[in-house]
Amino acid sequence: MSDTAATLTQDRQKLEMAALSAPAVIFTVAMIAFPVVYTIWLGFQTFSSTGKQSFAGLANYSRLVVDYEFWHGLWVTIALYVLSLALQIVFGVWLALVLFHAKRLPGIVRSLFISPFMMPPVVAGMMWLVILDPSLGAANYILQSFGLPPSDWLASPTWVIPTVALIDSWQWTPYVALIVLGGLQSLPPSVYEAAQIDGASPLKTFQRITLPLLLPTIVTAAILRSVDLLRFFDIIYITTQGGPGNASNTLNIYGFRVGFEFFNIGYASALMLTLTAIVFGAVLAFNRLRGAVAW
Amino acid sequence: MTDAANTDRWIRRLNLVQLVLAGVIIMAPTVWMVLSSFKPSFEVTAYPPTLVFSPTLDNYVELTKTTPFLSYALNSLIVTVGSTALGLLFGIPAAFAVSWTRISWPAILTLAARMAPGTLFLLPWYVMFRQIGMIGSFTALILSHAVITLPIVIWVLLPSFDGIPRSVFEAAQVDGCSVTRILWRIALPLVASGVAVSAILAFVFSWNYFLFALVLSNGDTKTLIAAAFNFIGEGSTQWGALMAAATLIALPPLVLAALVQRWLVSGLTLGAVKG
Repeated sequence: MSDTAATLTQDRQKLEMAALSAPAVIFTVAMIAFPVVYTIWLGFQTFSSTGKQSFAGLANYSRLVVDYEFWHGLWVTIALYVLSLALQIVFGVWLALVLFHAKRLPGIVRSLFISPFMMPPVVAGMMWLVILDPSLGAANYILQSFGLPPSDWLASPTWVIPTVALIDSWQWTPYVALIVLGGLQSLPPSVYEAAQIDGASPLKTFQRITLPLLLPTIVTAAILRSVDLLRFFDIIYITTQGGPGNASNTLNIYGFRVGFEFFNIGYASALMLTLTAIVFGAVLAFNRLRGAVAW
Repeated sequence: MTDAANTDRWIRRLNLVQLVLAGVIIMAPTVWMVLSSFKPSFEVTAYPPTLVFSPTLDNYVELTKTTPFLSYALNSLIVTVGSTALGLLFGIPAAFAVSWTRISWPAILTLAARMAPGTLFLLPWYVMFRQIGMIGSFTALILSHAVITLPIVIWVLLPSFDGIPRSVFEAAQVDGCSVTRILWRIALPLVASGVAVSAILAFVFSWNYFLFALVLSNGDTKTLIAAAFNFIGEGSTQWGALMAAATLIALPPLVLAALVQRWLVSGLTLGAVKG
């Protein structure tokens, strides 16, 4: 008797739990899962100039293989990704070490360090657009006062990718630093003491002890940044829109323009699915790496 | 011994120098933006750039006169508050259920939005919202931005709910409380600070989000971020107004982030790092 009552309460409880999750699940299915399936279907469609849509089979994908702009976009995406990630990891770890050894960090300093990545990327783009202006910007004035040649920055086809990487790294290096700082603070102090007793130099301690122990945290930071960097959009769209020419036309920018400027929804869908596959591939690869460096 | 103490002091000084250097690099662009927004128009584009000037509010006045800045700001507020509220409404019960049952797939499902490029959703949304005539509506904007806020709410709240001792719930259950009642009456008050942090983070990221409003808004519903594009279009000589716009757009997220800076990083990594 009491057993049936218990199962009854348990069933009731399961039902109540399902009801609590239901709004979030239904919303996510309606706004993400269903649209993604729809995008897969759209990827097999072609849209004529009058907006009429018809089945195209794999035409969008075979077009992608021979589309110069796609391969160029992939190259820009990867170049920007590798450069930005390297800058942010290297300087992020450096900044984390500096913060770690500062011991006392007043709240105001922390607020200051989070301010770049809490402001909209669009605002970061606006401010750097003014600072990096080739003729009147403050950046070139500083370069010249040190006797260095001025740069065209965002207006230069050669320098636009490093410049965008620099802007994004200005925004997100402090974020990487704070994640790595969290990792540093959670390391057991005993390992340092042991190293000190053994008379290891600070450099050697970092190389042999701190860095290997920090690797899982660094890989986590790299995953979080990869997801954003491979979809790079805001800063480029606000500053160069993929220019000059197509020098900063990342896959995400290219796909967006194909979809919403040329209204070729079918081909844009094929492009975006390919980009999504790349992002998920990178995350899976890093997850493996995280497993390999775990301790 | 004095040698070691000396080295120690030098290392400390070196560290301080590096800290100040990093601080200057991080702060300088933002300071420059704010300074430029208060410069008289002839001085904004002065070359060499000036650091000393008599500050003026002209740029802000011009911004509100020549652009519908305030109505854009109101649009941003409607979309951001709406999507944050929706994220909390759906996210709080879901986070509680995931924490209680240890069935985590609903939480992981919402993370998809954090991984895929926004354009992937935007293409089908555009086709669907156009068919039902919802392009440019606040409803479409709020729904799309809730895709950003929902995973933030769920993943920030999960560790908070996990932190409540199970015995608290069990005692309530013995007293005959329903699950829903336990959530609202017992669990929610215990995680109030977590709810505040998740709400603030959701607000900030919804406010900052650019892509969706670029396509789903129209002249009447354009958000500040989507309109930023128009401010740039007004010509490179309007730097003062541009920097005034940038300053005002960045102000709400920066003020809010300063309030929650202590919990920010663990919240932002969506459960990947415990801070």
